[in-house]
Amino acid sequence: MRPLPAPMSGTLRRLPLNAGALVVFVLCVFPVYWMVLTAFKPTPDIQAESPVFLPTSLTLEHFSAAVDADGFWSFWRNSLLVTAGCVLLALAVALGSAFAVARLRWKGRRGFVLMVFIAQVAPWEALLIPLYVITRDTDMLDRLATLTLVYFMITLPFTILTLRSFLTAIPKELEEAAQVDGCTRAAAFRRVTFPLLAPGLLATSLFGFITAWNEFAFANMLIIKNQDDRTLPVWLSSFSNVFGTDWGATMAASTLFALPVLVLFLVLQRRVATGLAGGAVKG
Amino acid sequence: MTRPATRTGPAAAPDTAAAATAPASAPVPPAGRRPAVPGALWPYLLIAPTVLGIAVLLAYPLARSVLISLQHYGMGELIRGGAGFAGLENYREILRDGEFWQVVRRTLWWTGINVVLIMVIGTLVALMLQRLRKRMRTLVLSGLVLAWASPVIATTTVFQWLFSSRLGVVNWLLVRLGFDSFQDYSWLAHGPAAFTVLVLLVVWQSVPFVAITLHSALTTVPTELFESARIDGAGDWRIFRSITLPVLRPVFGLILSLEVIWVFRCFAQIWAVTRGGPGGATTTLPVYSYQVARSLHRYDLGAAAATLTVLILIAVLIVYFRQMFRQEAEL
Amino acid sequence: MKIRFIPTAAALAAACALTACGTSSSGSEQASGPATLTVWIMKDSVSDAYLQRFEKDFERQHEDTVLDIQIQEWDGIGEKITAALASKDSPDVIEVGNTQVAQYAQSGGVLDLSDKVGELRGGDWLPGLAEPGKIDGKQYGVPWYAANRVVIYNKDLFAKAGITSPPTTRDEWLRITEKLNRGTTQGIYLPGQNWYTLAGFIWEEGGELAEKSGDQWKGSLDSPQALRGMDFYQRLQALGKGPKDSDEAKPPQADVFAKGDVAQIIAVPGGAEIVEQANPALAGKLGFFPIPGGTAGTPAATFTGGSDLIIPAASAHQDAAYQVVKSLAGEKWQRDLARTMSYVPNRTSLADALEDNEGTAAMAAAAARGRATPNSPEWAAVEATNPIKEYMTAVLTGSDPKKAAKDASDAISKTLNS
Repeated sequence: MRPLPAPMSGTLRRLPLNAGALVVFVLCVFPVYWMVLTAFKPTPDIQAESPVFLPTSLTLEHFSAAVDADGFWSFWRNSLLVTAGCVLLALAVALGSAFAVARLRWKGRRGFVLMVFIAQVAPWEALLIPLYVITRDTDMLDRLATLTLVYFMITLPFTILTLRSFLTAIPKELEEAAQVDGCTRAAAFRRVTFPLLAPGLLATSLFGFITAWNEFAFANMLIIKNQDDRTLPVWLSSFSNVFGTDWGATMAASTLFALPVLVLFLVLQRRVATGLAGGAVKG
Repeated sequence: MTRPATRTGPAAAPDTAAAATAPASAPVPPAGRRPAVPGALWPYLLIAPTVLGIAVLLAYPLARSVLISLQHYGMGELIRGGAGFAGLENYREILRDGEFWQVVRRTLWWTGINVVLIMVIGTLVALMLQRLRKRMRTLVLSGLVLAWASPVIATTTVFQWLFSSRLGVVNWLLVRLGFDSFQDYSWLAHGPAAFTVLVLLVVWQSVPFVAITLHSALTTVPTELFESARIDGAGDWRIFRSITLPVLRPVFGLILSLEVIWVFRCFAQIWAVTRGGPGGATTTLPVYSYQVARSLHRYDLGAAAATLTVLILIAVLIVYFRQMFRQEAEL
Repeated sequence: MKIRFIPTAAALAAACALTACGTSSSGSEQASGPATLTVWIMKDSVSDAYLQRFEKDFERQHEDTVLDIQIQEWDGIGEKITAALASKDSPDVIEVGNTQVAQYAQSGGVLDLSDKVGELRGGDWLPGLAEPGKIDGKQYGVPWYAANRVVIYNKDLFAKAGITSPPTTRDEWLRITEKLNRGTTQGIYLPGQNWYTLAGFIWEEGGELAEKSGDQWKGSLDSPQALRGMDFYQRLQALGKGPKDSDEAKPPQADVFAKGDVAQIIAVPGGAEIVEQANPALAGKLGFFPIPGGTAGTPAATFTGGSDLIIPAASAHQDAAYQVVKSLAGEKWQRDLARTMSYVPNRTSLADALEDNEGTAAMAAAAARGRATPNSPEWAAVEATNPIKEYMTAVLTGSDPKKAAKDASDAISKTLNS
């Protein structure tokens, strides 16, 4: 083999890497692509004898069916309220705990971390009945606040643990250097550590968002009589009936359902990038 | 064993980056300027909301669940109240059921195979992401997030389609590739095949989280670290071992334990695709407890099964807990 | 700084949660003013137009009540109804499926309506609806409507194959279906897991899904009669391209039928409307006949699907709720239901309401031989995991029927006796 010109050889050397990346991309995207494609396919094409990979004729009927479904907008609003409430609450509470665990020295810290860890193992599906009973007996049924609190608790241990590992991975000495330069400890944390923590905050808030956004069982059992307080996963299941499921509408609904998470990611990704590029790590 | 390595990552940083300007100094007590709250109290104030949340929203319901497991508690008791005490009868009933132990073994196998696949693939993808150029990386990241963010209900449905016997893309593709025996093959009618479909589904849904989190962890390492290591003449493997690995280790351990927990407790996907069938071939512990509990409205048995599930899960994770507990002592 | 930062964020989040709470506490009106009755109706069980007509009429006649009719989704409905029955402020009337009603009746959360049976003319209620609503001699569920499955066929495809009249016996049915199953045409689209249809075939042969002796249930899919029922199902199923491993909802058989190359499907007559919606070109080209039995002139035994109405014991307005049930189960609205929704009315004496429509007439002919699933509160649990569906797929994909039937029967016994 003759040595190739430099740029070519670079491209060639990257070929397996890029090919691998493409494979990963296709494997990740294909089922999602299939979902979105189905949402745009006319109903007869959905059950076609041989798969249709590229759309021949597109229709918006499924989307209009999905959007026209009863209570679409209030479900949307409810989900957004509950999810945002849960994520913000979890981030705020977890940041405090993660900071205490990763940066401060105090008695009982080990016990606390272990407790948070064991909280991860909580059998949420099995807690449905006890939580229902408690909620009923305290007159908290049919309230979005109850759902917010439950989702907050489901995501909290994870949020604390991840933020803690992100914090641990950021050299404490960077903060200390800033403190020597005259910053208060809080300012040092905010200016030096916080930007470095951004990817961690992103990952954890995405996690919280997805968990709360997808949750069905609690939403189904804790919101009973106030139909207007139902959330999107309940709506997502509303395209099934005795005659089967309207797959086109379900897929259109799923597409709309996944949209906020994707938008959130794209928005956050840019912020993370600027946070990193902002040169917080000047050393 | 792991202790020195854990220390080298973060501690290595100041040597190259910060230490030059910052001679190691004892942390400044935060309460210096605010005498109202003594400094020693701050950690406790910071964790107070968490402790309160766990006590009210988790420990209390958990205690109620254990109480239910010791009672005769069915739909009638849920509605009318007045559950009678049953002692350990529910536990005895479950442990006597021969199927239970079979389910436990299946659950361990299910967890093992899924977690290994998820971690290996996830790590490889994260390392790959790190080496990709920006545009390619954004592409793959977007794909991962797409897969991750899509609602479980929807992707589970799509997987059922892809593997459906007559109109499924997978059978169509396999037949095209020359495997004629897959013509109209019913994946979900055969135990091992149905198990495989579920493993593929769960791995597909879980890898993005692992890859993205590990990738995020890698980006917290200041690039200067990699650069200076390279200037010092370190090769790829050496950089991986002395920088990448130590940085990943805490996050990796965390994710590993989380994946164990999640895969172990995975329910919605299995229930939606196979309901534990065919012939119980995909009945894992959560599916089992759903069958005995909520289909039959025997909440007492369900609670007992949940208690046992938690105990088994803690036993599986005990190694990790111990290691973590020891590490905590040193930080 | 840090000190301020975190509490601020927490307060913000708490405020969000509070807002969420604030918007949700619309609350429920109590005693003062007209009582608001919450009525739960299952999705697509009756049309919106019907419900609107009913609501208007009922509110005109009962000026002190306002109806809040809420449509419920099928997913997770078991948990939701349980939660509703157990809550302090439950809905006032709930529609429940006739295979599900027994478990709720047994729970003690449902109002006993035994003393109203006379007033509701329960003497000739359809047994398939009345029996599951009755536990220990007390009537909890009030029959609302029923529907049983018929064969819906494509008249054009029948004509093309030279078939002039619908079959009247099972043998004839197999023969013509074989004749129809040529080229691109499917003789019948019968998915492998349509277990309601299998239940009919089993009953027709004299078998049962499960039998009770003493206080023990025993799954009986492995009886010779039941095995003959499955054998017939298998022969019929082979005369089309129905998937062996899924039921009539996956994919929706109405969509498959709407494509026009399927000669027959087995569905409730209301399914024809869905087909016509999906493919308007088929309007007027759909015919109906009852599932043929062993001898000419007697339709086969079929599964009676349908709904009962219950009043939760926790309802704050039980008397008003009873008025709603009485109206819905009464003659006026039953006739309306039969006419507009193609359902079998809850009383046999109202069957004449079905005569002027081909689909409902076919259904009414078979309704006389309608049957319900085994009358056990635990039957709902059998349906939740459904070993019958698994059994059907196993047989259709080549497993030994006897062994598969034995396994499924054992699973049914275990569930019913727990």
